[in-house]
Amino acid sequence: MLRGLVAKKVRFVVVGGLAAAAHGSSRVTNDLDVCYDALDGKNIDALAKVLAGWHAYPRGVEEGLPFIMDQRTLHGAPILTLTTTEGDIDVMDRIAGIGAYTEVRKHSERIAALGVNFRILDLPSLIKAKRAAGRPRDFEHLPELEALLALRNKTL
Amino acid sequence: MNAHQVAVAAAADRKWLINSAAILRRRLRNNVADAKWWGLVRLLTEALALPLATAASAATASLEARSTRLVTVGADPTHSAALWIDLDRYESIFLGNLSRALVHETPKRRGRPSLPIKPHDAVTAARNYGVDVGLIRSALERTPAERLAMLEANSRFVREIRGKAK
Repeated sequence: MLRGLVAKKVRFVVVGGLAAAAHGSSRVTNDLDVCYDALDGKNIDALAKVLAGWHAYPRGVEEGLPFIMDQRTLHGAPILTLTTTEGDIDVMDRIAGIGAYTEVRKHSERIAALGVNFRILDLPSLIKAKRAAGRPRDFEHLPELEALLALRNKTL
Repeated sequence: MNAHQVAVAAAADRKWLINSAAILRRRLRNNVADAKWWGLVRLLTEALALPLATAASAATASLEARSTRLVTVGADPTHSAALWIDLDRYESIFLGNLSRALVHETPKRRGRPSLPIKPHDAVTAARNYGVDVGLIRSALERTPAERLAMLEANSRFVREIRGKAK
């Protein structure tokens, strides 16, 4: 999925479980969470085309209902939780506790992994976002992330 | 569904829902059908500045229409001007919001949020919570690329195990 987004020049920052794993979390995640630049129409269009190519459909709802995946749907529903032929992906125009893409990008770092270069949310911001999201599953992840941050700062 | 999830699915503010329900004398129900109806009412009042009662009638007429996906909810006698609703388009956006409500907007943890743990306590707190700190230490010795390659291998393993279990 990352390769597909990068190939189509979508501007995004990886947040959530995959970013946590890149920082050293041992949790296994099967979905990709990305924050995309929603201020640029071309970027929304590029993202919508990639998702449509993967036959994206909302996750957790009745199957088989009409769903048009294009830039107008992304304008109307800027936060989408989707299942695709490539796997599950959550796309969002902003992150709780951080802000919109511009702010998220400021708090991100570039990495090279899985054959592509992309940006991931930095660890302190990831912790902030998890705390702001406030769901039990986010809080369950906090002790590990906070220990990671403490140990990483100690070794630096 | 809870009240917050209905508001997210309808892309409406919770207070707007409560006030509008009071004006329309309609009971707020926490289910998908009502969320879809309220979402359309909200769209018509916000995007086209229709009065609430008119928007409510138009939403009911649209969602009850069975024969067409492009519903005309109002027109002048000559059909020089008409208001139509593209149900496929509306339902795509609604499904997106509904999915977000059901998957993401699960109930938040109750009570006062805990304070961030002080760095020197964080490792002890994690250990007490049941986190394998040794695993964290070994992860820190790897590069992000190595960590993600490991995640990919672990994910594949989990998928295979799940596939065999089915």
